[in-house]
Amino acid sequence: MTMSINLVLLFLLVIIAIAAVTIKDLLSAVILLGAYSFLMALAWVEMQSVDVGFMEATVGAGVTTAFMIAALARTTRWEKK
Amino acid sequence: MTDWLISEIFAKYNYWVSILLMLIGFYAIITKENLIKKIIGLNIFQTAIFLFFISLGVVKKGTAPIVSEEMILKGYQYVNPLPHVLILTAIVVAVATTAVALSLIIRLYEEYGTIEESEILEAIKKEGR
Amino acid sequence: MNPAKEKGSVVVQTVSRIMIPFIQLFALYVIFHGSLGPGGGFQGGAVFASSFILYIVVFNIARGKKRVPESTNTALSSAGLYIYAGVGLLSMIFSLGAAQYLNYGFIPFTSHFEGNRAIGIDLVEIGVGMTVMAIMISIFFDLAWDKGKEKEE
Repeated sequence: MTMSINLVLLFLLVIIAIAAVTIKDLLSAVILLGAYSFLMALAWVEMQSVDVGFMEATVGAGVTTAFMIAALARTTRWEKK
Repeated sequence: MTDWLISEIFAKYNYWVSILLMLIGFYAIITKENLIKKIIGLNIFQTAIFLFFISLGVVKKGTAPIVSEEMILKGYQYVNPLPHVLILTAIVVAVATTAVALSLIIRLYEEYGTIEESEILEAIKKEGR
Repeated sequence: MNPAKEKGSVVVQTVSRIMIPFIQLFALYVIFHGSLGPGGGFQGGAVFASSFILYIVVFNIARGKKRVPESTNTALSSAGLYIYAGVGLLSMIFSLGAAQYLNYGFIPFTSHFEGNRAIGIDLVEIGVGMTVMAIMISIFFDLAWDKGKEKEE
């Protein structure tokens, strides 16, 4: 049972990582990176490493996303090419 | 042969997913022109390595490593907490490097008006440095 | 900054006005339960900082600057560092020549070695949380605050 949850989470992780890398809108890419971090935190809590999962949920998904959006507000939103 | 395949390849899918995520992040770092995209790739790369480390410490049917003496006497298994401590430090370093990289990107944008790598290189060439 | 010029949705502002105290309460919970379960000074400080970041994002950055000035950030970050180092030095002094840095049990808060240790861990967590909160907020300000734009206005 837990193994299948882990498998689904890892599958979603790969899909979201590919989406975050390929999408042209940088704001969407940053938000997708936040979703990636939350899913990674879920996967880690499922692997019983609660401390690291909590750390990733607060720092990786919360603070890093806020920093990146602040940087996007100072630069441009769209990727050229 | 099939036993070997199941026990060594399919049962360790965490490692394969970690390698796949690492390759996705590496692809973003080396091919994307946009600097923010490079930072996103760097983050994915780092997180994939963290996933690899956490997967190393997993024990089957193990609980979280917050245990009392009674639980140990009753024979509870718990996951290896050593990789968790290593990764806890690494996440802090990851946030710090991301903040430094973002501030450098903002400075580059103020200087050249773009965050595309090739345009910045062209602008530097035009200046004749 | 006259209030009529401020943009932003009333719904978001009201909801975050209600949310922010609860986020800060959760951050304090995380800091003080760091010795018993998941969490600790760094995570609690990050949650605390994210509550202030929510305030800055929802309201104005100038209002956020008024609420959390740069001087307060500097004072809080250095005070947290001094709490950490001070607890370590205190335990070094009270260990009477054994020179055990950050061995909290020697500081005589209570009469028990274990009680001393619990209080010492909490003090160190508070110091770490203060420093992390102040540094996160100041990094966010430095990333988001465009000084050149303000001069043009």
